[in-house]
Parts: sequence; structure tokens; C-alpha cells
Amino acid sequence: MLDALDKELLKAVAGLEKIPKGAYNIRKNGKLLGRQVSANINIETNDENTGIVITIAPNTKNESVHIPVILSEAGLHDVVYNSFIVGENSDVTIIAGCGIHCGGDQKEGHEGIHKFTIHSNARMTYIEKHYASGSGKGKRTLSPTTQVFLNENAHAELILEQIGGVDIAKRVNEANLDNGASLLIKENVLTDGNQVAESHNKIRLNGRDCSANLVARSVLKGNSRQDFIASMEAYNKCFGHIECDAIIMDNATSDTIPSLKARHPDAELTHEASIGKIADDQLMKLMSLGLTYDDAVNRIIQGFLKAT
Amino acid sequence: MLKINNLSFTVENPERSEKKIILDKFNYTFDQGKFYCITGPNGSGKTTLAKTIMGINTLTAGQVVFDGVDITNLSITDRANAGIAYSFQNPARFKGLSFRQLLGIAAQTDDESTLMQIVARVGICSLDFLDKQVDSKLSGGEIKKVELATTIARNPKLAIYDEPDTGIDLWTIGPMIDLLKKEQKEHHTTTIVVSHNKNFLEAADVILILKNGQFVYEGNLEGAMPILTESSTCESSDFCEGENDVRCFR
Repeated sequence: MLDALDKELLKAVAGLEKIPKGAYNIRKNGKLLGRQVSANINIETNDENTGIVITIAPNTKNESVHIPVILSEAGLHDVVYNSFIVGENSDVTIIAGCGIHCGGDQKEGHEGIHKFTIHSNARMTYIEKHYASGSGKGKRTLSPTTQVFLNENAHAELILEQIGGVDIAKRVNEANLDNGASLLIKENVLTDGNQVAESHNKIRLNGRDCSANLVARSVLKGNSRQDFIASMEAYNKCFGHIECDAIIMDNATSDTIPSLKARHPDAELTHEASIGKIADDQLMKLMSLGLTYDDAVNRIIQGFLKAT
Repeated sequence: MLKINNLSFTVENPERSEKKIILDKFNYTFDQGKFYCITGPNGSGKTTLAKTIMGINTLTAGQVVFDGVDITNLSITDRANAGIAYSFQNPARFKGLSFRQLLGIAAQTDDESTLMQIVARVGICSLDFLDKQVDSKLSGGEIKKVELATTIARNPKLAIYDEPDTGIDLWTIGPMIDLLKKEQKEHHTTTIVVSHNKNFLEAADVILILKNGQFVYEGNLEGAMPILTESSTCESSDFCEGENDVRCFR
């Protein structure tokens, strides 16, 4: 069912060595490769036949669902619309991700439009990794959209990683928070060569005492380019923070534009942003501990990307 | 064990389009296992000398010989692996590196019991320190303790500490000196401390007073005190003639 290439991609994006236990939906080259539901987690194709609907029953605790996508067919551009409904008082982990293997000259790509509705008092962790491999010259494109609607006192943690090989990425993250809801987005993006990555974020803090924290780390090598645009809008007594740091190397370029919009006198919004090369004092310190220059650079980058 | 021959270090002075001499044909031999304290006015070249030994500063001319080997052209990494360790005056902070990871790099192991032994050996760091991030949230004193621990974890033949007491509370300076003396005694570590703190001067086997790029005194504290207290080592020289090249009118 899974060939060696599939296994490599699945391991990279979803940490899977084999078909997982519990609920899963694996999509390969635009088609369903395998699906399993559990007592509390239902997965079905949507009415339009353009994606899946994942419904997690109220009070589901400590369960996870894997929904990876793998692409290895030249010229394919796969678009899916997935909906996630997380029932009240649940506590679940959703592991998504897309792996592309490009062996030819034709471009390959995936667009996942994911819409989450997190009901009251539920907690969801969503992990999404993007990875591309292969020696082909075709462009690998990944353009995910994540829309999160958090009801009262719901909590969501989004861990979004682009770990290498993706030529063009355009990510859109949107969130709406109700009373007492909280959101943490951790985004890590590594680009190299001539890769281009954009991240557009729009977070609306609607509810009283809701809070959002958006932490982005970027590492840019070669001639790559990354743009990070984040807007946090507050319409109530709430707290929001944007933290976006980038390490640039070689001839890479970056635009970072955090934007805070307070529409309520009790809104508290903060941001910190930095772009720069690896600090000399960090390199000197690690070299004085015996690491070579290259090893010191790698340790700093690895730590930086995991710091979120 | 460390021989410095005719070492010169100059920097460009763009304002005057001329070179400023920090160290001028400097010569000195540090003996194995001794505890040295280098002191002197701000801007006299103490940190420059320490960084040049570690290879952080590239010397303009001269030679550095360590354990009989010419290390003049060796990188920081090679000098570290030859047995020289350096404790920075203003330690680096990292996003995403914990004390445990930094200590692991220094000791070249991630073995839990080995790291615990190092922490116990250093003594001034509590065990809950291990999982702290070495980032901007650490206080000035905490980061200096991390710096000290990673230096000791290298098991160096030569340990250089640049103002190790900066940011350290009064209650910790005593144990810190005891620790460095213990390392000197038990591991025969040649120790060079750059400091203005009298406690370090009292602890040193040899006090070296650096002024205008040269040692103007070598000896014990008793002999050093008249020089340290006389007007020629004016405490204001850092912002008077020391750094801005303005003539002293005292």
C-alpha cells in the first residue's frame, strides 16, 4: 500500500513509519489512499467531494487524528477543502502535513484550505509540516490556508513548519476568538536557494479576555525570500502578542510587517520583531566551546527554529 | 605554558584615519598552574589581550605559543580543542538553547549524570538551572553563572575569565573565587582572571597591572596596592584620556 517514497514523505511530514493507529485519512496524488475512523472521531468526504469533514465528538480526550497528504505525480496540483469540528470539552491532536516528491520538470503543488471550529472549552493541537524532496526541476508549491474559529474558552495551538525543499509557499492563517478563548500559533519556516515563502496572518480578538500569541521564526539562506505579514485586531478587553524573528544568511531577503489594531480601550497588544544575521557573540561562544564555525551556525539555527 | 612574543594589536581609528595601538610588542610568559589576575584602567587592553589569546581577536603581529605549540594562526575552535577556555564578559544569549544543551556542547556529552556532576562541581548553579533557556530572560548574574559553568565543563588547561563577577551578587563572589581556586588546585588549571575586584586580586598568585598596552607591574597584592591607588591609574581615565584620547588635566 505504501511504497518506500510514500514512507519517506509520511515520516517527514507526520512522523509516521507506517499506517497509524486510531483515526486517519491519507491522501496520495489527489486520491484517498486510506481512511480509518474511531468511536469518537468521524471522517467523511464533504458534500462537494472536494475534501473531508472531520468531526470530533464532545468530551473526546487524548485522541489524535492523522491526515497527511503526499504527492509524487508530476504536473499534479491538488486542492482540498477540509473542515474540522472539535466538540465541546475535547482535547485532541490533529497531525496534518504535506510531502511532495518531485522527480521531473513539471511543477507539483498542494493547496489545503482547512477550516476549524473549536467548540466551547475544547482544546486542539494542530501540527502541520511541509516538506519537499526529489531531484526534479519542477517547482514544488504549497499554499495552505488555515481558518480557526474559537468559541468560548476554547484553546488552539497551531504548530506550522516548513522544513525544506518547498519552492513557493503562500500561507494564510486566520483566526477569530470568542470570550476567554486562547490561541497560540508557532510558525517555523526555513528557505534556501531561490525559494520564496509568504505568510499572511490575520487574527481577530473579538471576545472579552481572549488572548492570542503568534510566534514566527524564519531562517533564510541562499537567495531565498520570505515575507511575514501579521495583523492582530482587538475588539474587546483582550491580550495579543506578535513575535517574529528572522535570521538571514547569504543574499536572502525578508519583509516583516507586524500590525496591531486596537479597537477597544482595554485591548493590550504588543509585538517584537527582528531580522538579522547570526550574532557574532553567539558564534564566538559556541566556537570557544569547541564547535567549528559550520557546526556553530547549525546549532544556532536548529535552536532558533525550535525556540517557538 | 603560554608564551606571548612581541604581540601587537592595533585597530583602525576612522575619525583620525590612523591606527590606534592597543597592545604594543607585548611579551609575557604565563606559568603552568598559576592563578593570574590582570587589572588596570578601562581601555588599557585587558579584554583585548584575553581575546587575542583565545583567538577571538586576530593579532596584528607577534606570536602566541601554548604548551610549546605555536597557536598564532589557529582558529578559536582549534584553540578551544587545544585546551583553552574563555568566559566572556558579556555572554551571548540564544533563542532556543538551554543551559543543558550549552553544557552538553561544552562537555561533549548529553549524558545526564555527567552533566549533573558538572553542575555539582560548579556548585553555584542549582539543578533547576539545567532546563533554563540561555536567552534574554536570564538575569545578568544567572548568565554569568552559566558562562562560568560552561568554561569549567571544558576541563581546560588554561581558563580565561573576563570580569566573571559582573552582575554576580556579593554572596556568590566568595564561592566563585573558591571554585576557581579549587579548579586551579585539583586540575592544575592555569587561570587568568581579568578583574577590578579586590577579592580576585587577593586570591591571585600573581597580579598583573596593564596600562597603555604593557604590564607595568607583576607581583603580589601588597606591591600592587600603591600603584592601584596612586593618581596615575585615575579611575576616570576611561572617559578621560583612556578612550577618547583627551589629555588628562589632573
